[in-house]
Amino acid sequence: MDALARSDFIGKDATPTAEKRPWIFTRPTTKTGLVSWLTTVDHKRIGLLYGFSALFFFLVGGVEALMIRVQLAVPNNTFITHELYNELFTMHATTMIFLAVMPLSAAFFNYIMPLQIGARDVAFPRLNGFAFWVFLAGAVILNIGWFLKSGVPDVGWFGYAPLTSRAYSNQFAWDNSTDMWIMGLQILGVSSVIGSLNFIVTIINLRAPGLTMMRLPVFTWMTLITAFLIILSFPAITIALVEVMMDRSFSTNFFEVSNGGLPILWQHLFWVFGHPEVYILILPAMGIISEILPTFSRKPLFGYPIVVFSGAAIGFLGFGVWSHHMFTTGMGTVATAAFALATMAIAVPTGVKIFNWIGTLWGGHLMMRTPMMFALGFVWMFMMGGFSGIMHAAAPADAQQQDSYFVVAHFHYVLIGGSIFALFAGIHYWFPLIFGRKVSETWGKISFWIVFVGFNTTFFPMHFLGLNGMPRRTAVYDGNMNWNTPNLIATIGAFILAIGIATYFITIAYTYFKGEKAGRDTWDGRTLEWSLPNPPPEYNYAVIPTIHERDAFWYEKHHRAEIEAETASHAKEEASHGGIHMPSQSWFPFITAMFMLLGGLCFACKDSINDTLSHIDFVSARMGDHNIGILLAIVCGVFVVLGATLWAFEGPGGYHVHIEGEDDHGNGHGHH
Amino acid sequence: MSSHAAAGAIDHHHDHTTSTGIPNKKLFMWAFLASDCMFFGSLISTHLIYRLHPPPGSPVPRDIFSIELTSFSTFILLMSSLLMALAVNAIQKGNVRSTRRNLLGTIFFGLIFLGCQVFEFNHFVYEKGMTLKNSIFGSTFFTLTGTHGCHVAIGVLWLTLMYIRTFKPADADSGRHAWLTSTFSHLILFALAVVTWMYLVLGFINEAIESHVSGSMVTAYFSAHAVLFIVGVILAVALNLMSRAKGPIEFGEANAIDVEGAGLYWHFVDIVWIVIFTAVYLLEYL
Amino acid sequence: MSAVTAPAQALAEHDHGDSKFQIFVQIAMILAVITGVEIVIVYLPLLKWLVVSALVILSVVKFMFVIFYFMHLRWDKVFCTVLFFIGLVLAVGTSMALLALFSAEASAPIVATP
Repeated sequence: MDALARSDFIGKDATPTAEKRPWIFTRPTTKTGLVSWLTTVDHKRIGLLYGFSALFFFLVGGVEALMIRVQLAVPNNTFITHELYNELFTMHATTMIFLAVMPLSAAFFNYIMPLQIGARDVAFPRLNGFAFWVFLAGAVILNIGWFLKSGVPDVGWFGYAPLTSRAYSNQFAWDNSTDMWIMGLQILGVSSVIGSLNFIVTIINLRAPGLTMMRLPVFTWMTLITAFLIILSFPAITIALVEVMMDRSFSTNFFEVSNGGLPILWQHLFWVFGHPEVYILILPAMGIISEILPTFSRKPLFGYPIVVFSGAAIGFLGFGVWSHHMFTTGMGTVATAAFALATMAIAVPTGVKIFNWIGTLWGGHLMMRTPMMFALGFVWMFMMGGFSGIMHAAAPADAQQQDSYFVVAHFHYVLIGGSIFALFAGIHYWFPLIFGRKVSETWGKISFWIVFVGFNTTFFPMHFLGLNGMPRRTAVYDGNMNWNTPNLIATIGAFILAIGIATYFITIAYTYFKGEKAGRDTWDGRTLEWSLPNPPPEYNYAVIPTIHERDAFWYEKHHRAEIEAETASHAKEEASHGGIHMPSQSWFPFITAMFMLLGGLCFACKDSINDTLSHIDFVSARMGDHNIGILLAIVCGVFVVLGATLWAFEGPGGYHVHIEGEDDHGNGHGHH
Repeated sequence: MSSHAAAGAIDHHHDHTTSTGIPNKKLFMWAFLASDCMFFGSLISTHLIYRLHPPPGSPVPRDIFSIELTSFSTFILLMSSLLMALAVNAIQKGNVRSTRRNLLGTIFFGLIFLGCQVFEFNHFVYEKGMTLKNSIFGSTFFTLTGTHGCHVAIGVLWLTLMYIRTFKPADADSGRHAWLTSTFSHLILFALAVVTWMYLVLGFINEAIESHVSGSMVTAYFSAHAVLFIVGVILAVALNLMSRAKGPIEFGEANAIDVEGAGLYWHFVDIVWIVIFTAVYLLEYL
Repeated sequence: MSAVTAPAQALAEHDHGDSKFQIFVQIAMILAVITGVEIVIVYLPLLKWLVVSALVILSVVKFMFVIFYFMHLRWDKVFCTVLFFIGLVLAVGTSMALLALFSAEASAPIVATP
């Protein structure tokens, strides 16, 4: 591969001279301030945008959880209304899954993955920015209900039909919350799929010379597999959402029993998406752990090929187990047995990974820093979540456990003990690289222990609550069910967890502003991203590295002379190509996404909009029976197409950066 | 390594700047199509699932479908696929004129397909009494074929934009031509022409079915829609004028990847129809 | 792949390109014929399973012709084929599983008996 040559397949470079392009194609060039963030195409900035948004929504989801736990602290509580309770458990799940864990994973995909493959950016930088702004649009649509009369969605994060039908949205006029849920999820889906397509092309096509697939860092492998899971599973929920939207907006009969509809179809389509979704939530976490454990055991990952293969196997098998969420729906013996077997099979590659992580630790020189604490916590807590998962796989046992708190315990162990622990570990681990500061070990460890204790106090009792029959999603429970004490303990645990999270966030925030500055390669890392200055320059690598081995940076550190000679000769080559080629910033991703937001809101609230605007004679005279909300949505759609068209005509643009005066440490001073 | 100056010097099957040799845009498109397989798979599954146990009083597809019309539109779409492949072939050899002709042909056949769909939907709703709302078959059928139709429409829009793009002057960025304005004018004229002529043609077909073709009927139709006909002719002339050669253009072999991308999308829409034609229409005749 | 061999390759492509025109037209004819056959088969007095199998096979043949020739997979790097088939196989597999689930006795909708 000739990474330095100009591809025949991309558009012209923007030539600053003799240019009188139409004003609409003027590229923003500012590197500071609000405009630079709105128009950024830099994968690192986009990663930060995802990260900050995710952490914000994580706190929002946490507050929602605390309110749920306060309500359930004592029997027959009247802290909140039952309607609000329904909104809270719906939004807590939706927020945590789609607005916290997924974007936090995306933050790492964006920031770290291109660095790990020796690339300067992703394959389609403007599309990358677009994916973020569309994510934000989806987040706004889901949460705007907090400020509206219709309220936020309250149908559960899985929105089972027929509860989502029009018939149940007639509590009061303008009851649009389910429409907002549908639209919000559709738009988030667009964001996820576009981002994933970009990552797939990047990982497959933009690897540095010598970086074969089996030399990729495991985190990059997991990014690739997760991206495949996203592009292949989201279409199912897209169709399911289209069907329920057609039912609500255009009176079709997909889930309308009286006209031949089958609500169970919703469950199937949802879970065809929903099950791969949970692997989407855990695989990136597993990738992060697979980077941290070797680094802090000072040993390469044990069984790299099998860890990669298991990840792929989990991803693939994950498409064949969806009905284990439906064991109690009466699918018939054969179907139930088939899915139970498939679910048990999926435990095998997962277990294999755990053994390989233990093998990595075994005989290693363990450095018990904060990232390692979270990583070890992950291994243990995720395993516990896996045990309760295997218990669910046995369909007869699941008949009792389904829809009880046992399930709540299971998925919080894998999602908090699994995903969140790993993501928190990743934040500590890569903090020095991204921000150039080292998080205090003392406070990091304190936050870990409070979180660990709080988390287990909250969710361990839920196993017993479930086995003792406490159902999910009920706002109150009676006092004579023997559920009182575990619930109280869980609520206390939730507040301990909240204190732990607060400690974690305050520590991170403090470090961001005033933390101890970190030198390069803080942890004596093994992967390429650690070879860069912290924070990395805009162009990432002054010279694209050549890869000789897995754990490329480790090789570099132990073959300095060879690498130096290589770098020097490649630097000459790059300079002869006119310097480093950087993508230009653009307004179109942001503008196009904002019209999607507006259009989405118009369509979701079309009845409210129609009702309001029909009072204006001018409008009602012209619209007649037609819905002006739909018309406005179509107009916004036209602007979306316009934005995309202008985006295409704008072209990739690009400019060159020349590195001057590089010192021996490779710290370049770039200028245009 | 400098840019390739000579025409035909681009290897359209290999991009040496990527790890696999596959151009980024092509890889992106194939990954997207893999995703779209799951999309249509879910939709087609929904339709077929609801055909397993039709509720009593369901419309009988055999009595509603017109296999002649559907076969005709299937044939049309297949031919449009051929023209699309020829368009890609042409631009890979740098033959812009041929590319434009083939693109127009693809668009034209795509519009015929859409026209057939509009006609079919109208026929089902007004003559056969099957609507989106009054049966589960109607819901699944119209949603599935309607979604496919939307994909065709998006494809037509994409190809139209591609066609208009082939007229970008080589010195567009010098400020001498208001090429962006003329591009959007071209697009708007094209869109108006499409709408006008589709309306006229479909209207004529409806008339022809109702009151059988005859000399007087044609004259009556023409006079009733005289203004629209004149507008349509003016638009056609305007479009013809806009497509005259006006100096060197910035479109050639280097843009083949974009036409190929559009082509992949268009062919995919065709193969989805191959599946729909069999699974939704033909199987009902057994 | 260096710039030196690229023009030579592209030249081979040119001849290839002319014959591709012929190939595309021929395939379009084949596709039209197969479509015609499909329509005729439906009206023939054959056993249902035979007709269904024939229709499925003919559709698959059309499908494969379009993706391998019109969509160029035959001449592209094999990874493109792999990528597409991942999605295709998964979609077909999921559809078949869903149909099997809904065909099961347990999934038949309950009908009210008068």
